[in-house]
Amino acid sequence: MAANTGQGRGFTTFLVGFTLACVGIAYLSTGLGKLAFAAGVIIFAVSLFGFLKIKPLEGKPAMNASPTVMKLIGAFLAAFGWVITLFGMHVTDGTSGRIVLALVGIGVSLVGMIGVLPAAFNKNAIWKA
Amino acid sequence: MTLIRRCSLILCLVALGLSICAVAYGQASAPAAAPAAAAPPPSAAELKDAAAKAPTTDQLKAGDPGGSITGTINDVPVSDAKTGLTAGDVASQVGQNKIGINFTWTLVCGFLVMFMQAGFAMVESGLCRVKNANHTYMMNFFVYGCGLLAYWIIGFAIQMGGAAGNGNLGGLQPLSVEHPITLFGKTWGIFGQTSMFLTGHAYDVGVMVIFLFQMVFMDTALTIVTGACAERWKFLTFSVSSVLMGAFTYPLFANWAWGAGWLSQLGSNLGLGHGYADFAGSGVVHSVGGMTALAVALIVGPRIGKYNRDGSSNAIIGHDISAVLIGCFILAFGWFGFNPGSTLGASANGNLRIGSIAVNTMLAGCTGTFGALLYMWALKGKPDASMSGNGLLAGLVAITAPSGFVNPVNSCIIGLIAGVLVCLSCSFVENVLKVDDPVGAISVHGTNGLWGVLSVGLFADGTSNYGGSWNGVAGSVTGLFYGDASQLAAQLVGISTLLGFVFTFSFLLNWGLEVFVGHRVSAETEMAGLDIPEMGQLGYPEFVFREEPAHMTAHAMAVA
Repeated sequence: MAANTGQGRGFTTFLVGFTLACVGIAYLSTGLGKLAFAAGVIIFAVSLFGFLKIKPLEGKPAMNASPTVMKLIGAFLAAFGWVITLFGMHVTDGTSGRIVLALVGIGVSLVGMIGVLPAAFNKNAIWKA
Repeated sequence: MTLIRRCSLILCLVALGLSICAVAYGQASAPAAAPAAAAPPPSAAELKDAAAKAPTTDQLKAGDPGGSITGTINDVPVSDAKTGLTAGDVASQVGQNKIGINFTWTLVCGFLVMFMQAGFAMVESGLCRVKNANHTYMMNFFVYGCGLLAYWIIGFAIQMGGAAGNGNLGGLQPLSVEHPITLFGKTWGIFGQTSMFLTGHAYDVGVMVIFLFQMVFMDTALTIVTGACAERWKFLTFSVSSVLMGAFTYPLFANWAWGAGWLSQLGSNLGLGHGYADFAGSGVVHSVGGMTALAVALIVGPRIGKYNRDGSSNAIIGHDISAVLIGCFILAFGWFGFNPGSTLGASANGNLRIGSIAVNTMLAGCTGTFGALLYMWALKGKPDASMSGNGLLAGLVAITAPSGFVNPVNSCIIGLIAGVLVCLSCSFVENVLKVDDPVGAISVHGTNGLWGVLSVGLFADGTSNYGGSWNGVAGSVTGLFYGDASQLAAQLVGISTLLGFVFTFSFLLNWGLEVFVGHRVSAETEMAGLDIPEMGQLGYPEFVFREEPAHMTAHAMAVA
């Protein structure tokens, strides 16, 4: 089963929840705004669990599970590189030092992005079987 | 041997670039002419005299085939009929004309950028197999709606809610609330807080213009992802992912760069050049799209049959190279809205540089094509059509950030490097990372978007003058080769943010969607082609499908 009515209803619910939550944010200072936000979040959550319910009915994709910890490490390294760059701007006032620290940050991010994460996803890749 | 050939070709291209560079630096700058003395404002008597000399109604009734008597002093609105035309009326009309010209320019450029969606649709569908044509076209069609809706609801507010102050569009004063944080004794903008749903004070003529222009930019970023994940992305998940990207991922980075956010304040707060400078969006639009494309392509995995057991890859040929090349031309045409339009005006504040920006855009696309075509021809034996198209796009992507700050010779160098870079990056992504990107979107937009951002910090020549300052720092954006290393530092912070924040944010967001919705269609659907199972209709119903070769179906059979 590919695209189906359950998906269509789920996406409609998602859009209603998203829109209502945003209306709530726009008027959050009012009581009605808070109510709209709460209702929107609930409808949004309902749509996500609706998606989860119909997911198994849609057939098995051509992919195997990949190691979660490796993926988390990859994402962490990517983000950590950015943190190095940000704080590096305050560690030194010199342009050369800032450039070097930014390059270090970029390098760490790249290790996570194109080193760890692809390795994680390819570890149990279906084409290896 | 191949390595030696490859190195020698790259050296040749570098030598070509350096020789062009030498020409650029050899150009002597002509001394600027002294500005003419300003004329005194017209007196009341002069205005009265001019009004008396204007064509009469009887003269106008006779028609004006030459166009010499239409549009005169009589067309200037008078604020008080008793006093007649005053210098104030004339000045107001001049101001409104300036804003009118800028509105028109920005809107027309926005319309051109909107048309780029058609180019993306043709390029991406052409590079996919015929059994997925309808699905790929539909993703490119529907991403427009998903993005527009999300951007109108909240995305625009996050991006531009605190971006007041643009004199080209009348000041945009309703967009005046940026949420700040204070770090290390400095205040930094994080996200905008006004104009959700374009209601309240945002119901303003200038805000409407900037909304339209920024919206089509955002949609360009969204449509990049559909190419990298084509032929196996579930339509539902694509739709949800696009809404979230249009609502949060794109607007956040765009706020930091263009909406008075912290990246634009690196110059005023830390003395890093003029802050992060990205004239038309190599980083904001293309790299954000490219980083998200990489994140989602990792999660969604390679197409069935793309890789063999030993890790070698198979070429999966697209079905319509004519659509690809026509799509590239449409994109190149739309880019004339993208880059010159980013002045947000054609009148005042140095906006006459639009001609130079358009030429830079044209030249970088040209040299990008040459870079890719010559690389493929010399190393692979054929002037590959799809890579040539990608070379054109790579050149255009790379020149997008520096187009407003560099000269034509530097544009050629930037484009040429981009053309070679896209070939190297495509090979790296496919063969080293083993990430399947059917259209090369990660390389064209991600890699070359980063190159474009970096090139501002290297090649900006310090001659641009958009109202005397950029990001609140007086003077012109100047790169390392023209004496300002601190601008390079600002650009590197931008690149680090694209890699570290945008990629990670997109990855985690889409990983969440993988848990709840699932990104990939079933193996059975993928084998059949997504047109019937996902869309209910073939793109080309009268085509006869070929059986896939056995080595490309083995994994799918095992799953099914």
